[in-house]
Amino acid sequence: MTAEKVTTAAEAVARFVTPGAVVGMGGQNINRCPMALVHEVIRQGVGGLTVVGCNLSLPLDMLVAAGLVARTEQGTGNLERYGTLFAWRRAVERGEVSVGDHSHLAMATRFAAGALGLPYLPTRSLLGTDLLTDMVAAGYARQDVDPWSGSPLVLLKAMIPDVAIIHANRADISGNVVIEGVTSHEVDMVRAARVTIVSAEEIVPAGSFADRPEQVTIPEAYVSAVVEQPFGAFPTSVYRAYDFAESEIKEYQALGRAGDGELRHWLAANVYAGADFDAFLSLRDPEGSLRALLTDQMRSLV
Amino acid sequence: MSGPTPRELLVVEGARQIGDGDLVIVGTGLPLLAATLAQRTHAPGAKLVIESGVMFPRVVPTPVSVVDPRLMHGASRHGSLFEALGGLVQRGLVRTGFLGGAQVDEYANINSTWVPRESGERVRLPGSGGANDIASHCRQVVVLTDHERRRFPARCDYVTSPGFLSGPGARAAAGLPPLAVKVVTDLCVMEAEDSALTVTALMPGATERAVLDNTGFTPLFSPDLTTVVPPAPEDLRLLREELDPACVYFPERKLR
Repeated sequence: MTAEKVTTAAEAVARFVTPGAVVGMGGQNINRCPMALVHEVIRQGVGGLTVVGCNLSLPLDMLVAAGLVARTEQGTGNLERYGTLFAWRRAVERGEVSVGDHSHLAMATRFAAGALGLPYLPTRSLLGTDLLTDMVAAGYARQDVDPWSGSPLVLLKAMIPDVAIIHANRADISGNVVIEGVTSHEVDMVRAARVTIVSAEEIVPAGSFADRPEQVTIPEAYVSAVVEQPFGAFPTSVYRAYDFAESEIKEYQALGRAGDGELRHWLAANVYAGADFDAFLSLRDPEGSLRALLTDQMRSLV
Repeated sequence: MSGPTPRELLVVEGARQIGDGDLVIVGTGLPLLAATLAQRTHAPGAKLVIESGVMFPRVVPTPVSVVDPRLMHGASRHGSLFEALGGLVQRGLVRTGFLGGAQVDEYANINSTWVPRESGERVRLPGSGGANDIASHCRQVVVLTDHERRRFPARCDYVTSPGFLSGPGARAAAGLPPLAVKVVTDLCVMEAEDSALTVTALMPGATERAVLDNTGFTPLFSPDLTTVVPPAPEDLRLLREELDPACVYFPERKLR
């Protein structure tokens, strides 16, 4: 299985994630976060990043804990039931990470503008709020009026990440991608980004999707690199493949609550310690029993 | 069956805000339990929209995230955030939205971005998410929250999501469509429609004094003040045995 787009996480990150880049982050909350790719960014220590997305969760917090993030532009930073992003929150409160708040539709609309090759798109969200005032001051929103009706509108500047990173169910060696379940903000983010790296549970031969082309979520034109990584979203879920690992997320959050030193220790013992994501999986789940359980749990739900 | 806990009362009163056939956008937690309770009782035709792109699911217990496979179960479509918040909410097809927040002010504006510490430093909160979009475009917003003074300031320290902004007429002047807000707490129900929040009902056992003592502004009381009808035994049975049997959102029930 050779094709110029098929590569390893280490090679893809070294080639496409550069210091100071605007990184479009795939996944949402506890689902399909590109953990293998994020671990690789951490191992390579690519810093000064601006991380953008709608909900930013576990991968953002790990990047912040590793000291690699200068700014975030997002709709939310949290893990819902499992709490806030502790490293991110502390770094924001200390002024070490700057924040550009959005509503989720506002960020999705900025990605949509980028995806269509347009400089901006309008929304009727945000009107009248401090959120809009901040977005206008930051330079990526303007209040205007509908030229036909004269009603108030907000124009949102296109968001074009330097590199988007996502994890998917399957990709073929040409870079056609199949995502199962919800796609959150990811499809327009990928279409908008200058470069996209996709890790996938499985890489399949060219033409594997030819009998069902309507099921291709993202066509190859947008994809620069594909990396095969089973359980590449662990401990977050992949719809139809495996459930999220609540015990792992709770453990990380307990350390996050305790402090930045605790998280750095966790990163040293779990991310920097191994050579790649398979080493991390073996460390966390030596016998594979947790992964088997998560696979069974997902099977019982779909 | 033991009587309702304060948070069970919130969920049951929340469920009553959903009409049969309504499209409702919810996250997880108590609002999702309220919406699924409505579907199992008086509103079997209510349809749920989840901001992650899940449309019209048949939820199984007990989702903890808007992307939890338990919340994606039995859906009509798994789409995108742009479809859910743009194509349904901004498009005007979703009647009711459930929201939370650290602060709700006299004019029903909501803050979920940051609050000040006593030192003057800011506590960073999760941010808007879909909340601003829901408050901008739905016809009805329902807030389920504990009734604490710090949660109900006269004016939010930061307006993330619009209620009636600075007061009557301000919402329309900003270019936003009409809205009705209902805030359900463990003490009372407050309502507003281009107005300040007004107490329209007390929770069973709660007093006007308790509401005044725990609210940062002085709310008006409706002349037709009523008492919230306690949950039917079947509502409590559904909540406890079928919708959240593991007490994920009712840890206090586990301790009893």
